[in-house]
Amino acid sequence: MGTVHARSLDPLPMHGPELGVQADDMEAPDIEREPKQEVLENKDVVVQRVHIDGLGRTKEDLLTQEISLVFRAKNLIDVMRKSHEARQKLLRLGIFRKVEVVIDTSQGEGALPNGLDVTFEVTELRRLTGSYNTMVGNNEGSMVLGLKLPNVLGRAEKVTFQLSYGTKETSYGLSFFKPQLGHFERNVTLNVYKVTGQFPWSSLRETDRGVSAEFSFPLLKTSQTLKWEGVWRELGCLARTASFAVREESGHSLKSSLSHAMVIDNRNSSILPRKGCLLKIHQELAGYTGGDARFLKEDFEIQLNKTLFWDSVLSASLWGGLLLPIGDKPTSIADRFYLGGPTSIRGFSMYSLGPQSEGDYLGGEGYWAGGLHLYTPLPFRPGRGGFGDLFRTHFFLNAGNLCNLNYGEGPQAHLRKLAECIRWSYGLGLVLRLGNIARLELNYCIPMGVQSGDRICDGIQFGAGIRFL
Amino acid sequence: GHCVCAYLFLTLTAAEPWPETATLYQPLKEDQILLSDCASSLAVQAYLRMCGLPVRVACKANAEFMSPSGKIPFIQVGNQVVSELGPIVQFTKAKGHSLSEGLDDVQRAEMKAYMELLNNMLLTAELYIQWCDDATAAEISRPRYSSPYSWPLSTLLAYQKQWEVRRKMNAIGWGGKSLEQVYEDVSQCCQALSQRLGTQPYFFNKQPTELDALVFGHLFTILTTRLTSTELAERIKSYSNLLSFCRRIEQTYFEDKGS
Repeated sequence: MGTVHARSLDPLPMHGPELGVQADDMEAPDIEREPKQEVLENKDVVVQRVHIDGLGRTKEDLLTQEISLVFRAKNLIDVMRKSHEARQKLLRLGIFRKVEVVIDTSQGEGALPNGLDVTFEVTELRRLTGSYNTMVGNNEGSMVLGLKLPNVLGRAEKVTFQLSYGTKETSYGLSFFKPQLGHFERNVTLNVYKVTGQFPWSSLRETDRGVSAEFSFPLLKTSQTLKWEGVWRELGCLARTASFAVREESGHSLKSSLSHAMVIDNRNSSILPRKGCLLKIHQELAGYTGGDARFLKEDFEIQLNKTLFWDSVLSASLWGGLLLPIGDKPTSIADRFYLGGPTSIRGFSMYSLGPQSEGDYLGGEGYWAGGLHLYTPLPFRPGRGGFGDLFRTHFFLNAGNLCNLNYGEGPQAHLRKLAECIRWSYGLGLVLRLGNIARLELNYCIPMGVQSGDRICDGIQFGAGIRFL
Repeated sequence: GHCVCAYLFLTLTAAEPWPETATLYQPLKEDQILLSDCASSLAVQAYLRMCGLPVRVACKANAEFMSPSGKIPFIQVGNQVVSELGPIVQFTKAKGHSLSEGLDDVQRAEMKAYMELLNNMLLTAELYIQWCDDATAAEISRPRYSSPYSWPLSTLLAYQKQWEVRRKMNAIGWGGKSLEQVYEDVSQCCQALSQRLGTQPYFFNKQPTELDALVFGHLFTILTTRLTSTELAERIKSYSNLLSFCRRIEQTYFEDKGS
């Protein structure tokens, strides 16, 4: 009998999950192809042996967990499906460059007449891989040089080193990632980093040197992350002309915080979703494990998407957050929330609304922001099915507020404060999806509800970023 | 471009009178400030008092990092911030307050030379004793410098500062000096000052100048600060005219006029 070659049903992206690439945008491969040979279809088979060829430094116990399901297949179709699943699992480990599956009848001694052998032919990634990326953060570009040691100890552990040489500052980070055997989603990450950022809207420069330990695990339909982080933060003025309020925040502080994040994401794509919703809740408690920053920070993000007529999508999002200082020390400029800009409330300059001093924005302790978008394909749909699908036109309505809360006043007063002087804007524009991690927007915005001190961007506004309201 | 800017800056600042809210920033007085910073701060305070310019003293744990030059002290006048004695003298001059107006060119050059001597010898000696003498660094400088911070940041910042000062000492050739040599330098510096002062009330006779403020700031602080050894103060105490000079400025400018 011939060999069934279940070769590369679909190519998986080879960049690992650290880029935030989720396989969510890919349609599930249609593997249940109608088999030509009816003889095989209904025949009971037994998977007798599973081989893995091409292993070098990978430990076998890592893989037995991933491929054990193949043994449970009862007929050929099942074998193919299970092998495909196993292949997907192997690729997701991020340690193989290529995985091919060969299914053949059993041969040799003890071979059953209906016995099958499944062979996974794997090609391991090299011990050390280098990468070069250009990254687009929220309105900042940088060149990222990365070194990766995939599968460094043979059980899908990964060491990554990143050096980012940015348009503004240079940063680096070293991380060690270890998944639990057989449960790739349950993993531990350790990080050491130095990040320097310049925030011209606050005339502030911040250098963070930190260590963090993170434990991620799925729970029901959610993904949970528990994290401890210790950061030495150094704040300084960006220019001599910085306001005195920013100057007063200069100096060193130590933040040691425990945080928890929960994400439910069933959208079909994270950048231009057509359906599904996202719920993100993040909470951080600083000061109980040492350090001099003491606060409790809560924030959330909700997004709902629904496809309407003619491929248009209605998307609604709501963000909100609260920062409560613990003890009598006021909150630091580095911990507060910022709002405004092409990625949040459009029509306002980047992080340029709310409390400010001499033109330097100081951030707020409470905020909310909501957005309503109607995405439609390009008019007349040029480049349909190809390049044109990366673009959308959108109409948007954004609103929000950012302010400081005096914690003596009680929740009623806080709500009243957040409901006063609401900034809002509307407009339309063009959205370009960049891969599955970022997007660019070119909008015509009309800002409304502008308060004195806010910096607006009336008319054309360009934005690039990874998180959008 | 620079000249025009500087000129503009001076004419603009000159237009504004000295505000009541002028503030001088320095580290925490009780637990944090070190001898050298205390001396520099006192020198500026003395200078402003000699000029008759009122200033409020504010103690901030992060004063060093708030300062535009990273040096102590700095003053905030309106929306301007100026750090260190030299620039502050320039700044007050632009506002029409100066102590060295009456000096001729030769005297002014001499004054600058003595101020340089003081900064190069006495201030450097203070920094040396604070950070390069192991006993002083361990018992006084590191604990005080890091007192506002929690561990491990406190240790980290203290050693970072020590390393930074020691690197500077090596760069100017003080790295190899012994404590005894440094004390000898202090003596020489005091000898020069004592000779220049002679029997006059101030370095340039009847009127105090910024040099007097600087000398007072350093000598008075050394005399009144407890270190691991009293050697530094002893070296100064052997010059009686310098002692009475300190006493005179303290009485004239720092003691309540009412009492």
